[in-house]
Amino acid sequence: MRMSHSKSISRPSAETLNGSAINVALRRRAMATCVTLIFLAGAGSSAAADLSVMIVDREGRGVGEVVVTATPVTANKAPALKPAVMDQRNLAFAPRVLVVGVGTTVEFPNSDSVSHQVYSFSPAKRFQLPLYKGQIHPPITFDRAGLVVLGCNIHDSMVGYIYVTDAAYFGTTESGGALQFKDIPAGDYRVTLWSPFVTDAPASLIRTVHIDGNAPATTRVQLSLALRSRPEPRPPRRDWDY
Amino acid sequence: MRLVYRLILSSLLFSTAPAEAQDRLTVDGDIDLRWVHATGESSFLNGGLGDLRFDPNHEGVRLGRAFLAPNFRVTDIVSVHAVIDAYGDHDRNAVDASEFYVDVRPFPTTSIRWRARVGAFFMPVSLENRGIGWTAVYSITPSAVNTWLGEEFRTLGAELEARWLGASSDYLGDVALVAAAYSWNDPAGALLAQRGFALTDRPSTLFGGLGRPPITFYHEIDRKPGYYGGLSWRHHDRLEIRALRYDNRADPGAYTEAGGGAWRTRFSSFGARLEPSAHWTFIAQYLTGDTAVGPDSNPEDQFYMRFHAAFALGSFEWAKERLTVRYDDFRTHQLSGNYGPPSNDAGHSWTFAGSHEYGDHWQFVAEWLRVTSSFPPRIALGEAAAQVQSQLQLAVRCKFQLGW
Repeated sequence: MRMSHSKSISRPSAETLNGSAINVALRRRAMATCVTLIFLAGAGSSAAADLSVMIVDREGRGVGEVVVTATPVTANKAPALKPAVMDQRNLAFAPRVLVVGVGTTVEFPNSDSVSHQVYSFSPAKRFQLPLYKGQIHPPITFDRAGLVVLGCNIHDSMVGYIYVTDAAYFGTTESGGALQFKDIPAGDYRVTLWSPFVTDAPASLIRTVHIDGNAPATTRVQLSLALRSRPEPRPPRRDWDY
Repeated sequence: MRLVYRLILSSLLFSTAPAEAQDRLTVDGDIDLRWVHATGESSFLNGGLGDLRFDPNHEGVRLGRAFLAPNFRVTDIVSVHAVIDAYGDHDRNAVDASEFYVDVRPFPTTSIRWRARVGAFFMPVSLENRGIGWTAVYSITPSAVNTWLGEEFRTLGAELEARWLGASSDYLGDVALVAAAYSWNDPAGALLAQRGFALTDRPSTLFGGLGRPPITFYHEIDRKPGYYGGLSWRHHDRLEIRALRYDNRADPGAYTEAGGGAWRTRFSSFGARLEPSAHWTFIAQYLTGDTAVGPDSNPEDQFYMRFHAAFALGSFEWAKERLTVRYDDFRTHQLSGNYGPPSNDAGHSWTFAGSHEYGDHWQFVAEWLRVTSSFPPRIALGEAAAQVQSQLQLAVRCKFQLGW
């Protein structure tokens, strides 16, 4: 947390700020911020609570496969990194939507009986996994935040999404639309949503949630626009591309 | 066949290297045996002008089709695909190929994915022939539209497709533009003029012929290449819309020493397949075009015919079962050229099919098809122009895939 603050000060002072008065003012502000951060961290270590998020559509029904991130408003911390798996089963990516922290390594096993060729040309991560079955390729590290759309060069109907985030807390809603973050330190959080099926503007879905550490917090987001139709799993066929 | 042996040989070499089979070479196979009961006049495949594959003199236990379809991945983006067929009928070759081509499909590095095919292959037009080797998956017999497209057309040339992978940019699905240039399609149209539309699952093979005496299809007569261009939109597995314009650009005045003419055949096809859920499929396809043979300088003697055909199909699938009903309507109308009774075909048909999958390898299909049509050239064979024909087929199919 502190390292990021000193960075943000040193950059403008080197490039654009020459006046000594401004430098003094900045140094004062930095000190004040450090004090605030230490205070907040102290409060956070002693108080934490669960945050429950519920996403519902226009009719009030829960919406699954929605990526939810929660970022502390004052100072973010690096997300916890756990290796993740994006499987391929029944000619589909499983899970269809995966959210990982920046720096996470993801394995891409192919559990199908047919071979796949996985690719992404998304700016956040470009890669190709040549024709394979089983697990022969080493895991891939996702080192930039952003959306990575996956495809299979043999089966065009296979589409998967890896949402790479630098938020401290993240997850995906279950089919009923619910997601719970456990033991989040007290503070204000910026909660964002993303889903390939949600048409509402992402900015309109941002919420700020306060967690005081004494009681579980909840936030409920109702979408105002209709969802895009969600591809249903199709029975595997021996199709040919005519 | 030599190629198949080579492919198998090279696959054995490959199989020594990787620890796990990665499907460098796959061979799909299918054996389809049927019991058939048919009514009505002789099938055109047996020298008559009937619209169906089988007839009362050719029924009972029959081979529907046996095929092997090797697919060899030379590299990650280049593969060679072939379909080797046997139909057990009067075709010139007991075993023949219906497709043989090289498919190049680079990994996409932007939202446009390129794909090229070079060789002999079916054009991307049918919405019901989704199986390997142009197999219809909703019934045994494809529609009149796609029966004809499987009989007289094969792209012998090169095709280039640019597909905008829309799912990566937005969520609208993919849009594809396809264009092809080909030769050896100058006789296309001759069978439609002589017989009208038909409903069979008997596409032509590359070196064989259909009917008695057999009409062969893949010749170059005027040394002018043809083209087709198509546009399609695919919204995941839910909706696919296709439009295609075909023109073989044949010179109808050109002919071979043996007397075979070049048929200038042009058509447009429009179709949509809607799969609103995993259970339901609806398909509609419409085809309209014309064909001509004989010099343009002599329009009265030139044989000129227009045609159009359409079908609508509904199919319901659950677990291992599928039920399909389809209605076909087809017309040809000869406008010039006086060579006997006019090739004015008018007909419609109903097809009902049910199938059951048993395990990974077996499929049982029952299909009943009834076609009512009027075609004046039948009179020259001593038959009534108007005919009602029906055909019941009970098929047992064994499917398998081998991989190395």
